[in-house]
Amino acid sequence: MKKLFCSGMMAATLVCSALTAAMPVNAQDVFRIAGIVPLSGAFGVVGENMRRGVTIAIEERQSRVLGKPIEISWDDTETSSQVAVQKTTRALSRDVQTVFGEASSGSTLAMMKLTEQRKVPQIITLSADDRITGADKTRYAFRTSNTVAMENRMIGEFAKRQGSKKMYAIVSDYQVGRDMWAALKLDFESKGIQVIGVDLTPVGTKDYAVLLDKAMKSGADSLMLLVVGGDVVTSLKQGADVGLPQKMKVMGTMLMDETLGQSVGPAGSLGVNSTLRYHYSQNSPRNKRFVEAYKAKYKELPSQYAGEAYDGMSWWLDVVEGTGVWDKEKWVDAFHGSVRKDSVEGEKTMRACDNQASQVGLFGLAQPGTEGPVVMKVTEQFTAAELFKPCT
Amino acid sequence: MSTFVIGLSISMLLFLLAAGLTLIFGMLRIINFAHGALYMFGAYLAYQVSASSGSFWLALLVAPLGMALIGALTERWLLRPIYSMPHEFQLLITFGMILVIEEMVHVFWGLNGRNIATPVALAGGVEWLGTTFAKYRLFVIVLGAAMIVLLLLGIERSRLGLIVRACSVNPTMAASLGVKVNTVRTAVFAAGAALAGLAGAVAGPMLPIQLQMGTTIILDCFIVVILGGLGNIRGAVLGALLIGMTRAYGQQWLPEWIDILTYSVLIATLLLRPQGLFSKKERLA
Repeated sequence: MKKLFCSGMMAATLVCSALTAAMPVNAQDVFRIAGIVPLSGAFGVVGENMRRGVTIAIEERQSRVLGKPIEISWDDTETSSQVAVQKTTRALSRDVQTVFGEASSGSTLAMMKLTEQRKVPQIITLSADDRITGADKTRYAFRTSNTVAMENRMIGEFAKRQGSKKMYAIVSDYQVGRDMWAALKLDFESKGIQVIGVDLTPVGTKDYAVLLDKAMKSGADSLMLLVVGGDVVTSLKQGADVGLPQKMKVMGTMLMDETLGQSVGPAGSLGVNSTLRYHYSQNSPRNKRFVEAYKAKYKELPSQYAGEAYDGMSWWLDVVEGTGVWDKEKWVDAFHGSVRKDSVEGEKTMRACDNQASQVGLFGLAQPGTEGPVVMKVTEQFTAAELFKPCT
Repeated sequence: MSTFVIGLSISMLLFLLAAGLTLIFGMLRIINFAHGALYMFGAYLAYQVSASSGSFWLALLVAPLGMALIGALTERWLLRPIYSMPHEFQLLITFGMILVIEEMVHVFWGLNGRNIATPVALAGGVEWLGTTFAKYRLFVIVLGAAMIVLLLLGIERSRLGLIVRACSVNPTMAASLGVKVNTVRTAVFAAGAALAGLAGAVAGPMLPIQLQMGTTIILDCFIVVILGGLGNIRGAVLGALLIGMTRAYGQQWLPEWIDILTYSVLIATLLLRPQGLFSKKERLA
């Protein structure tokens, strides 16, 4: 009896294996996306906004692509690269068709190695490190958002246009911060802006008062605040009481938007200049549709993180749909060089040479507004030609 | 001069938070890992009161009272049953409290950061010797100094302090003299939690109000408490001044080395005086 049972089980296993192997590749019944984002920890709010943007992108196509339902699972990386790698490994074992994320560049770079090994497309809509589409680029990782290099070019150009003569910088001491500052310093100097002081300070500095005091006493007319995460709020909040935005022209990358304005408060926010990845006020038909859907679902305006996540995911799903076949390699081929005429920020092109979307760049100024105590007004717009070097 | 004043304000904020931690350890022998979470909860509560009523001063009153209530309930229902058990149980309970409080705050207030506006009377700065001093920082210094005096007088010079110390040193003897030891313990834990709530409310206009705010500052508080000697209020004052000034002058001259400088102070103290700067040798018999 036991022998019979064992033989039966073996035969059943063989039949199942044979059937699975013979199954056509397009017989998949669900299009699986793994959303690997921070939903807790310092970047929790960023990941939550990214999730919302992606949700709108999926819902606007009735949660279907290539005639199959889209199934998205969200994994919380807890703002840790180690956890991001663990969650990505687990997601890839579930045979996903697309990986979405992460927010921090370190996590994204680590995840890219895994998606490359497993040949799974990865959509990146926030991490800005140049290596993602530079030295460490892979065939399967696509970035639809800004790079550090393009943000640097915007800052340099903005400072020049604003007539900055003397610059002081406070920089978060981590690799991207150091790289950004090294490039920016050269750019400022080439534009005739004198750099009269720089302070590197650990990420998570709890008191910026001494550094701000040094900057204000330095004789500089402009302050470059290259800080990240909670440090943005700490530095600007503490600057409010000593009149920082009134005494110096404060600027930085991702330094201010409506979400950060809520945390900092108007006194520390108004007058601050910042690069913007996306802004809900962009005048394009797709953006208007997105903002309407977002407001209807979440009862608030979309943040930069939500806007960029929506844009990247909806672009990718349209490309997949356009191929008409269930084949990851074909989707990746189609995304290389793809042109998005109606992205939320106007035209975007996915450069085939590095999987980086070339796009316009925005610069905004925090002002009081009717939609909230702090509203960003887009004051400068840079064309893709001004921001990207030609593909080599 | 400006660096000294800023250092003083950092020190006083650290003291407000560390005082509660050291008070609880000194009197109850409990290392309250949830102290940072209570500080964070206090900040959110202060934000809510301030946003609803428009009054920072009301928030400054309600946040400590709210945390005192939570502290009292915690001591009565979570800690009292485990006083006789090994210290690991205290660690597990207080660590579990961190998770519960963080999740509660997440559910009630979400992930977005919050802000408490600086009260009008304390907004802006005052010019002195060519430097702008934030009025709010001067307020933090005055409040911190007042709390130092209040705590030292309360614990070392008052009858109430005598009872608290008696319950800490020999609870059986205190009980036999008619002191309600359990009530004293509840009150001490509530007072420690109230100090955490006060620190949270005070930090609101200066620091980001977000879920991680407790974890980022609690490390510095433990350093302050270890430097001063566990359970010693005078030591906490000195420890807070040492760390506050190290951070302020470190930022002035060597901002890249600030963490190394802070932890070097801790290591040096542990090597030279492991019992802390202010601890006295205990008489064993």
